[in-house]
Amino acid sequence: MRTEKVVFAFFIVLALTLNFSFFLGDFSNPAHHDAYELFAAIVVSLIATVLKFGDRTHLGSVFLATSLVADLQLICAALVWGINSQVVGAALDENSLATIVSLSGGALLANFVSVALLVAETIYLRR
Amino acid sequence: MPNLIYLLLRRLRVPLIMLILVYAVSITGYILIPGEDDNRDPYQMTFFDAFYFVSFMGTTIGFGEIPYEFTQSQRYWTLVCLYATVISWLYSIGSMLSIFQDPAFRQQTKLNRFKRSVGNIRQPFYLVCGYGETGRKLVGDLANDGILSVVIDSGEIPINELEVNDLPISPLWLKADASDAQVLEIAGINHRCCQGIISLANDDRVNLTIAIVGQLINNNVRLITRADTKEAASNILSFGANEVINPFETFASRLALALHSPGLHLVTEWTTGPRDKKVDEFALPVKGKWIICGFGDFGRAAYRYLDEVGESLCVICSHRQERDVPAGTIIGRPTEAATLKKAGIDDAVGIIAGTGNDPDNLSVLMTAYELNPNLFRIAHQNEDKHKPIFDAANLDLVMQRGNLISDKIFALLRTPLLGDFLRIVGRFKKDRANELASRMIGVMGDDYPELWEISITNEEAPAIVERLNSSIIRLNDVLRHPDDRERRVDAMVMFLKRGEGNVILPEGTRKIKIGDRFLLCGNKIAKHKLQITARNTSYLEYVLTGRRLPDSWVWRKLMENKRFSDRFS
Repeated sequence: MRTEKVVFAFFIVLALTLNFSFFLGDFSNPAHHDAYELFAAIVVSLIATVLKFGDRTHLGSVFLATSLVADLQLICAALVWGINSQVVGAALDENSLATIVSLSGGALLANFVSVALLVAETIYLRR
Repeated sequence: MPNLIYLLLRRLRVPLIMLILVYAVSITGYILIPGEDDNRDPYQMTFFDAFYFVSFMGTTIGFGEIPYEFTQSQRYWTLVCLYATVISWLYSIGSMLSIFQDPAFRQQTKLNRFKRSVGNIRQPFYLVCGYGETGRKLVGDLANDGILSVVIDSGEIPINELEVNDLPISPLWLKADASDAQVLEIAGINHRCCQGIISLANDDRVNLTIAIVGQLINNNVRLITRADTKEAASNILSFGANEVINPFETFASRLALALHSPGLHLVTEWTTGPRDKKVDEFALPVKGKWIICGFGDFGRAAYRYLDEVGESLCVICSHRQERDVPAGTIIGRPTEAATLKKAGIDDAVGIIAGTGNDPDNLSVLMTAYELNPNLFRIAHQNEDKHKPIFDAANLDLVMQRGNLISDKIFALLRTPLLGDFLRIVGRFKKDRANELASRMIGVMGDDYPELWEISITNEEAPAIVERLNSSIIRLNDVLRHPDDRERRVDAMVMFLKRGEGNVILPEGTRKIKIGDRFLLCGNKIAKHKLQITARNTSYLEYVLTGRRLPDSWVWRKLMENKRFSDRFS
């Protein structure tokens, strides 16, 4: 068992789970989607991205790409949220929330691919 | 080759993660800590507020307490975050700077830049491995002739020197080991503009490796290699090098030529010698005894060649252990008068100082001059920086290794046929060589000879090619002056290569065929005039038949009219 691998897998899986817990719930119900969860998902996703830097294998490149996609989607979701609440000023309406959640849904897919790759790599190495 | 950005990001992993964590913790803190607005009502910072505040605090810009004045508890938290973010920023920037300073990273940056500029080359270039004395002179000559070179050298000093060069065409350079196949590939050995590899390392093993690697990667380019020993030379030749140049052999063979066949010596000097001055025949002593001091690579080569032409020789060698010295060798220090006397300096005609030490060589020759002022004195100059003293010593002949090789390589690069020509001419008898030398004097006059090649192809001689389709052309006809066909241009055809066949000094009645390659000798004006004839249909017509073709379309149309042409031509 190597600490590096544990940390690596931990952050990748955590990125997926946080993303999932934010995504889970009714699309347009603000009570089901917590801002803290989105924030945590972004931070963990960023850390996961940095951890994937510098791997020159083909798999490493795909890993990095999935993470970058997840970052992009989550940051977009946060931007939409921020602009809505700070610039427009009104309370979060249903449409905006739906946009935010569906953006995070895209990130979820990317994170899922990332975890799938991780699992595939592990199985391949074990065999 | 790792991509630079990924290399950078990989090394920055720890500082980046630290930054992300510090930011996340600070932002969370501000959101959780309760604050107050202007009316002392409770106010919770939003994510936007917190991120905004941490961003300008972390970068020490500090716009103040935004959006409302902070409470005491928020200030405590600010104190903590302030130090944490500033330190993590300093740490990240510090790591980034240290990566930029890292020798490995800088080498990688240089390599990438070099790779890019080699890839962008759109003109013919030569790959020069080794930037010592020879390399410097050769690259300079090439640059002055408008030819680009790519230089590889593993030394720090030569590369630094290249960085401040003032050549008309600045060469590309890389500090790397040229015997590495990957390095050669980066330097453009497979580039479609690469004309040839010139390997000039001091170490024969390195030259051999470059030759092998070069031939294996791309055996279509010309390969010219230097070799200091005979074994290495034949070994490199067996790997398919086009030319191998051994400086000692070259010099010794020329010396032997000068003694044995002055005509041939002049021909070689003129064709492969320096391009800035004309070498004149020097007054060599009559047959007699020669003293060779030092029995290293240079001494051995001199001994072998002089022995071949039947001079009587005496070798002075300072080490008793030296291998296979000839019989009658004097063991002792050649700088001492006693040793020189023992070697019979009084009745010798010439002395060759060929030790590996320049002051020693000079000292030998000065002592020898005192003992016998009529001696013909030849010195081996090892290092370029000693040139002024050798010049001041007023010796009869000085062998400069660097110049010798670079002049010869330059000549071979300009006119590749020269190699074959010299190999054949080298077997000439005395009389024939003298005749060749006098013919060359006839065309070159007092200037140094200009050598050039003409291929009968559409690019180099379009007019001749066009005409060859309908009629035959003989060599003599082309060598007429394009302004006055009764005169001849000052040029002679030295060599003809037709397919695999070689013709030395082709006779004037020989027919020209498409695809022929000619080596010509003459002066600069003659070269220019011949180019005019070869490229311009109307000049060629005049040279061949004496008729002047009208240049303009109108005149040509008028001349087609019988009455008009009878009256005016």
